[in-house]
Amino acid sequence: MYQKKLATYLIISLSPVLFALVTLLSIRYGATDTSFKDIFAAIFHYDADNMQQTIIRSSRIPRAVGALLIGVLLAVSGALMQGITRNYLASPSIMGVTDGSAFFITISFIFLPKLTSFQLLSLSFLGSLFGVALVMGLAAFVKNGYSPVKLAIIGTIIGTFLSGVSSSLASYFQVSQTMSFWYNARLHQIDSLLLTLVIPFALIGIIIAIFLSKSVTILSLGKDLATGLGQKTRWIQLLSMAAVGLMTGISVALVGKIGFIGLIIPHITRYLVGSDYRAVIPCSGILGGVFLVFCDVISRFVNYPFETPIGIITSFIGVPFFLYLIKRRGGGYQRV
Amino acid sequence: MFNKRLYITIFVLLALILTAGYYSITNGVYPITFSQFYESVFRIQPQQDIDLVLFELRLPRLVLALLIGFGLGVGGAVLQGITKNGLADPAILGINSGAGAFIVAYMLLFQGTFSGDQLLMKLLMPLIGLVGGLFAAAIIFLLAWNRFNGLDSQRLLLTGIAISTGFGSLSMFLSLKMKAQDFEMATVWLNGTIYNATWTYVLSILPWFLLVVPFIIIKAYKLDLFRLQENAMKGLGIQVEKEKWLLMAGAVILVSSCVAVSGGIGFIGLICPHIARLLVGLKHRHSLLVCGLVGMLLLTVADYIGRSVVAPAEISVGIILSIIGAPYFIFLLVKAKV
Repeated sequence: MYQKKLATYLIISLSPVLFALVTLLSIRYGATDTSFKDIFAAIFHYDADNMQQTIIRSSRIPRAVGALLIGVLLAVSGALMQGITRNYLASPSIMGVTDGSAFFITISFIFLPKLTSFQLLSLSFLGSLFGVALVMGLAAFVKNGYSPVKLAIIGTIIGTFLSGVSSSLASYFQVSQTMSFWYNARLHQIDSLLLTLVIPFALIGIIIAIFLSKSVTILSLGKDLATGLGQKTRWIQLLSMAAVGLMTGISVALVGKIGFIGLIIPHITRYLVGSDYRAVIPCSGILGGVFLVFCDVISRFVNYPFETPIGIITSFIGVPFFLYLIKRRGGGYQRV
Repeated sequence: MFNKRLYITIFVLLALILTAGYYSITNGVYPITFSQFYESVFRIQPQQDIDLVLFELRLPRLVLALLIGFGLGVGGAVLQGITKNGLADPAILGINSGAGAFIVAYMLLFQGTFSGDQLLMKLLMPLIGLVGGLFAAAIIFLLAWNRFNGLDSQRLLLTGIAISTGFGSLSMFLSLKMKAQDFEMATVWLNGTIYNATWTYVLSILPWFLLVVPFIIIKAYKLDLFRLQENAMKGLGIQVEKEKWLLMAGAVILVSSCVAVSGGIGFIGLICPHIARLLVGLKHRHSLLVCGLVGMLLLTVADYIGRSVVAPAEISVGIILSIIGAPYFIFLLVKAKV
């Protein structure tokens, strides 16, 4: 117990250092290396004529910050989902959340091409809610449908279906190129204006998650127990799903679908800090952010000097972990 | 044993396949009238351009669609029979993407070396594909198999999904190292299409079909016995494990050689066995053939839809099938009692 507490404090207190370190790493290395002196200069006395500094300001910094933010959002979403559903496989990419969001974005690009960023964001949010609702709704008709494995299967199939519909619509209306962006996330094309726009919404999502964390801990002990303790479980679940929709919607709108972060990070975090969600939720966020920035740096070097889509890196790490979870846990419920 | 229903079903399916095939071969960006078709096929008044469209472009594509539909349908039926799992499908189990990843790796390693001899390269592709398919199948079954419960069907599906994501990423990763036109080819693998059909491809998968299909048909009655408890089967003097692995290898070889030319076309192996069972009942020695025929029909129709909806562009047939297949999968899941 003491060790887990210590781990929690360590992760939280070291988070600014960790964030700063990986961000610097991500800004420093890439197709052209920059020096720390340039980074310092670009931040504090920016010189628009210096190419290195322009690269840092216009491309590297938004990318590093974006990766950090998205990692945090996806990991927190995953932790929330696993907590409220007691499902060890719950995560935005497995249970239709990201698929719904990407689907809505594609459709809106086809039929409403002149959307403002804010409208795009709201559609992405609605899309994630639509995705979850679809998966959960169908699960209600399937016998034993809410078991982790069944939900994961339904989620994957819905994902295949929605992406099939999107890609055929996209080729019908000849926007395949735009669409592939959302399906193969590309961090290097992140829109820095959109990034600054979403930060307040992202903060709202994270604050809701932290605010809910105590209730999620109780809910993760079992719904009956939580009701017995006087908790309004339905409200907690709805509010959590809204927060998940908001956070996942933001990350899909920014860079598209990135898998596995929301699945792996909460598991690793629980292993480190125990199963109290007051610790799990913030620590997941911290580790998720660090992890995604790290993956992003790797993605620039595995096929140097070309970029590799970050989804490939996360799935190389995520798939073995996923297999391990299936092998270890099987199909039943248990507290996660 | 005369089975009227079986023969009627086969007859009707064949008629439908012929109609669909004729329709698909004469319609398209360059339509061909019946008299032109007739005169060209029976060499009454052959014209060069119509010959080109018919025999070099559309016919290989149709033949390939028929072969692949048959292969995937039969492969799916065998897999469902062995795993006793109505939701098993080569694509969902990750066999497709395993074969795909190996082929992409093969193309990457040997790009350029075969420049003078494209034929050999294409003929070798199914072989590489089936190594990949067998490899993926081995991983999936080893992971899903458990000393106490045997083959857990839900774990099997989920492991398959994970493996297929993994191999999909691997193919994507490898294909990014390729030249631009090879990259196009590789994205084809991820979606599944028979867009670039040629007679060479037909030739390259035909030997595997001739080898494996008779084997599976002969063994079909054993698939019926797989519905029994394993102990009862042992009591009947069947070497359960050996038969299981043999049949499985046959199915995987069939599916992988299809994937080698068409990429990951999903859901055929899932849908056909169910339709075949509805049509002619549970016995595999009847339903296996019907299953193949349904696969032929399904793939021909889906391919026609894919190339006519957005003509002259195309939607890959894999996408069309996923739009049809996914709701069907959910329907099966809702109906299933497990």
